[in-house]
Amino acid sequence: MLTRRDILTWTMTAGVTSAAMPTWPRSALEVAAGLPIVDTNISLFRWPFRRLPFDTPNLLVQKLRSLGIVQGWAASFEGILHRDISGVNQRLAEVCRAWAELVPIGSINPAVPGWEKDLHRCISEYNMPGVRLYPSYHGYTLDDPRFVRLLQHAAQAGRFIQIAVAMEDQRTQNTLLRVSDVDPGPLIKLMPGIENARVQILNHNLRPDLLQQLGTTPGVFFDTARVEGTDGIPRLVNNVASERVLFGSHAPFLIPEASLIRVHESDKLDEASLVRVLSDNAALLLAEK
Amino acid sequence: MNRTDIRPGLPPTEQLKGYRIWDAYFTPAHSHPGSDGSSSLMADIERSLPAVRKGQFERLCYFPHVGTGTTGDAAWEELARSVPDVILKPLERWPQLLLGMIQLNPNNVPASLDALNRWLRDGPMLGVYFPGAGPGALTCTHRNFNRLIERIKTLNGVVVQHTWLKTGGKQGAGESTPSELAELASRFPEQKFVCAHAGGEWEQGIRAIRDTSNILIETSGFDATAGFIEMAIRDLGPNRIIFGSHLPSRSLGTELGKIIGAEIPEADRKLILGENFRELLKPILKQTGE
Repeated sequence: MLTRRDILTWTMTAGVTSAAMPTWPRSALEVAAGLPIVDTNISLFRWPFRRLPFDTPNLLVQKLRSLGIVQGWAASFEGILHRDISGVNQRLAEVCRAWAELVPIGSINPAVPGWEKDLHRCISEYNMPGVRLYPSYHGYTLDDPRFVRLLQHAAQAGRFIQIAVAMEDQRTQNTLLRVSDVDPGPLIKLMPGIENARVQILNHNLRPDLLQQLGTTPGVFFDTARVEGTDGIPRLVNNVASERVLFGSHAPFLIPEASLIRVHESDKLDEASLVRVLSDNAALLLAEK
Repeated sequence: MNRTDIRPGLPPTEQLKGYRIWDAYFTPAHSHPGSDGSSSLMADIERSLPAVRKGQFERLCYFPHVGTGTTGDAAWEELARSVPDVILKPLERWPQLLLGMIQLNPNNVPASLDALNRWLRDGPMLGVYFPGAGPGALTCTHRNFNRLIERIKTLNGVVVQHTWLKTGGKQGAGESTPSELAELASRFPEQKFVCAHAGGEWEQGIRAIRDTSNILIETSGFDATAGFIEMAIRDLGPNRIIFGSHLPSRSLGTELGKIIGAEIPEADRKLILGENFRELLKPILKQTGE
């Protein structure tokens, strides 16, 4: 099992390899000393609709470091709209190899032919611990048989699946590319029937009743990127248990400070829960590969 | 390590204090203060205090209903009119922390004019808030706004207009967009207006009000989308942006994060987090002797 000490040691080594990079100017920011924060929800490359301040790997990694984030689970924005998913994952794997902080998370689109091979490559060729899905952008729901098969394959290979239930607020989407939020409801029936299946729901802001049902569904985890309200994260933790909540920022689309501050701003989570959400839960999910 | 050491994402306390943060958009119990008068409002303010303290806020401006029909609750509206002291409870309890701007109902001009006399002319409120939803919402290009804005101008009040520009169109007939606020503001060039939420979809919101120099944007009410503040400074300049927290329904992280996480000069951060709002309030604060 990967411990916090392991992550810390590994990250310090990574820092040596990147010593030639420019230092981040916002060094005054406090970080939680000794707590290696893991961001389970970041993306590389260009957001399709505008340039973002940290949309190059160099700048994003520098930003993460400045905030005390020692590991980022990085998918590719290209996975949302590109149909050549093999190329998307190849480019992602190559870039992540250059940055010890970045854990590559492949994109899979089960609505295009040959997705099984993409999944196989993510596992065998790139040794990715998980894959990320964009069901609304790819036009399927979570009761689709193709998704069920994908979930089964991933579970058998010991990989987790991340489901981006949204990428941006529906109210601000491009008029010509409007998609609904993904309904994660089908997971409630699906997950108990698939041994070792693990799914992390990203960018959610779910109804309390659905959240509670998912919170007792085996193998379901949550990120923190779009959980709103000053006490939104403590409420999430109370609803689903702190072992199921993993820090995620949705950077660089969202400002990573937002999700970081939200975890602790209400002073309602105890120290153990904070450590689990910011660090330990991610290490555990990664170690279960 | 203990819990208080775990505060990633936030600048050091002294740095936060140095910003002298004045929050222009505090929304405790924003749509209804509680059927007994103010219990929901007081509870929501209490709920916000940990984040307020953590952010080292100096002042927060909220938007009390004052009985002009903005809640849709006839019993509460009657209570507010007959026992106006109920409206003052938060200001009495947190006099050094809170500022107030009254919610007006442009659908009822006579009641709104009365409220302006009662709460702006006679104090202690500093401006008005025009809602984007509920029974008090009316698109701000409507002629009913003219008399109200004229009166607010003579009282040196600040005008905050809720705005959103939603993909797919308005969710309610009374909503206002930044373009509509620009139309209203161009009729009253001597009056300052606050475009609350920068229209939500800020790339178009900023452009819509860019050439109307008497409009400032307020920063809360949507996800902490990266690049917002950078574009706003580029297109509007740092003096036309004011910080809002939208606490407690939104978070310190989302709203303060937009400003402290932006790639901008420290001097601009200070303007946005407090100086610009204080400058906006200067005429009416001078009038009230603060």
